[in-house]
Amino acid sequence: MSTVLDQIEQQIAKLSTKAVKKNTGNIRTIADGVAKIDGLSDVMYNEMVQFPGGAIGIALNLEESEVGCVILGDVSQLKEGDEVQTTGKLLSVPVGKALLGRVVDALGNPVDGKGPIDSKETYPVERIAPGIMARKSVNQPLFTGIMAIDSMIPIGRGQRELIIGDRGTGKTTIAIDTIINQAKINKVGLASDDAKFRPVYSIYVAIGQKSSNVVRTVAALEAAGALEFTIIVAATAADNPANQYIAPYSGAAIGEWFMENGMDALIVFDDLSKHAVAYRQISLILKRPSGREAYPGDVFYLHSRLLERAARLDGKGSLTALPIIETLAGDVSAYIPTNVISITDGQIFLETDLFNQGIRPAVSVGLSVSRVGSSAQIKATKQVGGKLKGELAQFRELAAFAQFGPDLDAKTKSQLERGARIVELFKQPAFSPSPIELQVSILFAMQKGFFDPIDAKKVVAAAASMKTFFTTRKDALLTEIRTKSALDKDIEAKLEAACNEWKSGYTA
Amino acid sequence: MAAAAKQALQLARQLFKLSVVDGVVSADRVAGVLEYVEKHLPAHSVLTLKAYHRLIATEHAKSEARVEHAGAVTAPALTAIAAAMSKKYGRLVTAVSRANPVLLAGIRVRVGDDVYESSVAGQLAALSLSV
Repeated sequence: MSTVLDQIEQQIAKLSTKAVKKNTGNIRTIADGVAKIDGLSDVMYNEMVQFPGGAIGIALNLEESEVGCVILGDVSQLKEGDEVQTTGKLLSVPVGKALLGRVVDALGNPVDGKGPIDSKETYPVERIAPGIMARKSVNQPLFTGIMAIDSMIPIGRGQRELIIGDRGTGKTTIAIDTIINQAKINKVGLASDDAKFRPVYSIYVAIGQKSSNVVRTVAALEAAGALEFTIIVAATAADNPANQYIAPYSGAAIGEWFMENGMDALIVFDDLSKHAVAYRQISLILKRPSGREAYPGDVFYLHSRLLERAARLDGKGSLTALPIIETLAGDVSAYIPTNVISITDGQIFLETDLFNQGIRPAVSVGLSVSRVGSSAQIKATKQVGGKLKGELAQFRELAAFAQFGPDLDAKTKSQLERGARIVELFKQPAFSPSPIELQVSILFAMQKGFFDPIDAKKVVAAAASMKTFFTTRKDALLTEIRTKSALDKDIEAKLEAACNEWKSGYTA
Repeated sequence: MAAAAKQALQLARQLFKLSVVDGVVSADRVAGVLEYVEKHLPAHSVLTLKAYHRLIATEHAKSEARVEHAGAVTAPALTAIAAAMSKKYGRLVTAVSRANPVLLAGIRVRVGDDVYESSVAGQLAALSLSV
């Protein structure tokens, strides 16, 4: 027995006298969340460095005589001469389902006052995007619940679809609607016995936003019952630029965990314009050479390496990205918008004029496109909405032409009237996404001319009445459309009968 | 100002290269450099000398093992540390000791940017960070 005890004591003695090697440096200058450090000769690019007081930094500039670090956290206690040490680790964030329903900062620390997060795993914030062979083409739909988008600019799982527009045009609302719709679909799917059902978990990354806006978003998600399927990564305007710079990468790492573990996730970056501004600020303080609009030379790579991480993986899950870009006076040809447009698989362009006319969501059909979405659209939507985009484009052209004179032939008049009704039909209030089967039913009614006798101004009310009719009285038919995902002759007949039933009971 | 600092750093680097013989800072060469600077007074001489000082200090720190200790450290122990560090870094490293009661117990050896921590204070600091 005494031999065993001796062995243990020797082991303890060995451990307690073991020297720990650290590589250190000293802060030479510190300003605006960026520190220049003397020393740190062993530091790696993007390595976490430990500052006094628990603050963490990331080594971004490795120069001959100094290291440039961005500091994540409170910099108020740091001063010139303080000792900094390397950690040998890359920046990582906690990942997993334990984060669902929580609001975290850029480092994955909870900021919602609901206590610590019991996460077992961490993922590095910076990661190489999946390669070509690991990917699979996008052919599964991701429904936003917004009729104008699901029918004309469909989004698939693993796609990167940009939401772009001026301030106050409803960009965030579209993203929140999509998150709410995923939660609604998840609830229905998980309650059903469908073994093939794959829920979509959402991550909302708030970059440089007002804290009050983030609170409003959280409240909207909570009110809609979507928070339990959502993770919010918040780097608000009050956070330093380093946190705002790192937040989307942290969100992507959290999303990748779902993708790597055979699940589907949706990530919203709100917004990448502010992210680019935060990165510009860091780069200028680090004295990196600046280029167009004072952005550094690698601002394209900043967003391309982030958005490339959204993918659909073969044999695993998917990560769908909805980046948001804010334009100034509708200028989509500015530096950051053109960069992100070229990286993504399409864009939803929101117009201020349409928004002010009361057309909400203010989706500009002409400028919006989904490059891979049509292969992800279900057959039922294609059947009822396949020609919608063309019809609307024709309507806009004819409407512009019709302003010059009232003498129009009957065909043109009918096209204008149909177009006006489609525009009205696509109006949808915020935070009330429609299930795809309901969208199909409404579009079917429109294609069959059930809205034609109704005054264009009353189409919104009529559509709302029809939605209520279908959800309250034709639930079995909606379930059939949802499960079959296509309209056969039998369903078409049932839909027509249901529309006639609604028509007979509807008074405008 | 930025241009002046850059110019001063360039000159300091040249002077630093002249001060190193076989990877070791030579006291004679340093004296020669200082004499040259005093005589010729190059532009931004204060900036140049500050940059030169930093380069020399960094290089010098690589050849010196600063042993901080709480409690006594014997001469043979210092010699052993110097020999071990010389072997590790592949250059002649001398050991100098300094008492530091803040460490509570144990020693801390610093060679250049590297710190070998084997003190109670260091372990407590690591513990407080991990909690």
